[in-house]
Amino acid sequence: MLYGARGIYLRETLILRRKLFKTLLASAVSPALFLLAFGFGVGRGAMVGGQDYLSFLIPGLLTMASMNQSYAIATEINISRFYFKVFEEYLLAPFGRWQIVLGEMFYGITRGLIPVAIIALYSLFCGVSLHFSPAFFLALLLHLAIFSLLGILAAMIVRSHADQATVNAFLITPMMFLSGTFFPVEKMPLAIKAVASIFPLTYSTRLIRSTLLQQDNGNGLLYLLLVVMVIILFGLTKRIIERVEV
Amino acid sequence: MPASTTRDYPDEPGTSHLDNHHPEILVSGLKRSFGKVEAVRGIDLELHSGELFAFLGPNGAGKTTTINMLTGLLRPDSGRICYQGEPFVATAYEVRRRIGVVPQHNNLDRELTAAENLRVHGRLFGLGGPALQQRIESCLELAGLSEKRDTPAGKLSGGMKRKLVIVRALLHEPAILFLDEPTAGLDPHSRRKIWAFLRRINQEQHCTLFLTTHYIEEAEQLAERVCFIDQGRIIASGSPDELMKRTGSYVLDIYNDEDVDNEFFNDRATAMARLEQIDRTVRIRKTTLEDVFLQLTGKRIDP
Ligand SMILES: Nc1ncnc2c1ncn2[C@@H]1O[C@H](COP(=O)(O)OP(=O)(O)O)[C@@H](O)[C@H]1O
Ligand SMILES: [Mg+2]
Repeated sequence: MLYGARGIYLRETLILRRKLFKTLLASAVSPALFLLAFGFGVGRGAMVGGQDYLSFLIPGLLTMASMNQSYAIATEINISRFYFKVFEEYLLAPFGRWQIVLGEMFYGITRGLIPVAIIALYSLFCGVSLHFSPAFFLALLLHLAIFSLLGILAAMIVRSHADQATVNAFLITPMMFLSGTFFPVEKMPLAIKAVASIFPLTYSTRLIRSTLLQQDNGNGLLYLLLVVMVIILFGLTKRIIERVEV
Repeated sequence: MPASTTRDYPDEPGTSHLDNHHPEILVSGLKRSFGKVEAVRGIDLELHSGELFAFLGPNGAGKTTTINMLTGLLRPDSGRICYQGEPFVATAYEVRRRIGVVPQHNNLDRELTAAENLRVHGRLFGLGGPALQQRIESCLELAGLSEKRDTPAGKLSGGMKRKLVIVRALLHEPAILFLDEPTAGLDPHSRRKIWAFLRRINQEQHCTLFLTTHYIEEAEQLAERVCFIDQGRIIASGSPDELMKRTGSYVLDIYNDEDVDNEFFNDRATAMARLEQIDRTVRIRKTTLEDVFLQLTGKRIDP
């Protein structure tokens, strides 16, 4: 059952193991820098939304860093597709291409868990207490699925590695800064609020933050929204990958 | 010159399984363009089980595009592809299991070991457990890579990488192996080894081989049947001997000041008689596939 998706997951995680140290380092450094610059620099002693800034920031960083790792599979798929051409092995194998989407999605989810572990560690050092409840893990799973799917989708749509860099610069980077990671979206100017409202990261940040800080305020709708996004993205990616040629 | 096609082959789906002797592959009217470039402009061919077949043509002739369509990596603009009488569609997973593909590029995972590369391929084809383990070992042995099973693929020599890609394509025991330029970029020694290897695969594993090449020698050495392809069309096909006979088995190279003229003859005696009459430098030799291609197209395959 699902040997295609499992075969793909096996290949990706075998390779991940080979570069685990690099991946760990990459997921550790950038949130640490953000934490130093924003948490201990700009935002020291500030209160945001009724809590201290560090408690606000760390769940945001966790969401952002895990998004980055999940989405980073876009670059890997790209290199495998256009440069090493190993992706052809997937296209030739005897199963429906939706299994490629499934296998890569679980790989993206796996990668996204790495920074979660690292930031959980940081939170201990910062004295911020986070609640890793089932509600949090459900939210995290949906969040990681969304960004893995976006990564696969991007890798299928672009025609080259350079295109991929463009997508990252115009979509992923703005999303990182405007989705409530560092500052509540509610307090931003109206124009930015409007932009933020189309970014999925805005919603997953809100949901993950509220589960980690145990502030349930109508989360049901947010879960529903993320589930709908996963379904739509999966369907869309499946359709596009079925049209893909070498 | 017409390609080897069988136009009276039953086309109606209803009649296909009445006839139990289907060709391994039957292709008709295959076309594919990229924007304004007509890469493949109508190819018909028929391949039988156990054949060692070569597609010979210069760079840009449409060889890779054809293989990619036959293996499902590109969609044809028009035309039909049947494997053993079954139309080849995106969901024809049983057909895909019958196919092994060796692409032009050695698409190995360089960080993974030789054995891991094989394992991933096996898993993608639904193999697992002891059966997979056994296939991995016998493929490594076939390639002479048993000693290198734990070496990262990126550290293998060019010839070894090529062999690994070939046995990876054989791992799921396909009936047909497609090889796109199997020896491009290899030194002459490795090339000969790959040729011997391919002959063995064809004979011992009873695998049908479809290879593309722009090396005359490769086609002459390996193929039982050759199709010349140029500008997206098949311009001649037959066994190397037939093709050479059609052009004339003997050729005179007549040296001018600048150039060499060729004259072709069916037998040696006539050629010798003609040679006597020429008062320039003349050489008599056997016709090669290069001569055949030059006669047909006015250009060389590998300029
Ligand atoms: N993906 C593509 N996009 C645009 N043109 C292509 C593409 N693939 C092949 N071509 C063109 O189609 C022609 C045939 O190419 P190809 O099948 O690769 O030839 P061969 O393998 O015989 O060298 C060439 O002119 C090539 O430039
Ligand atoms: Mg080619």
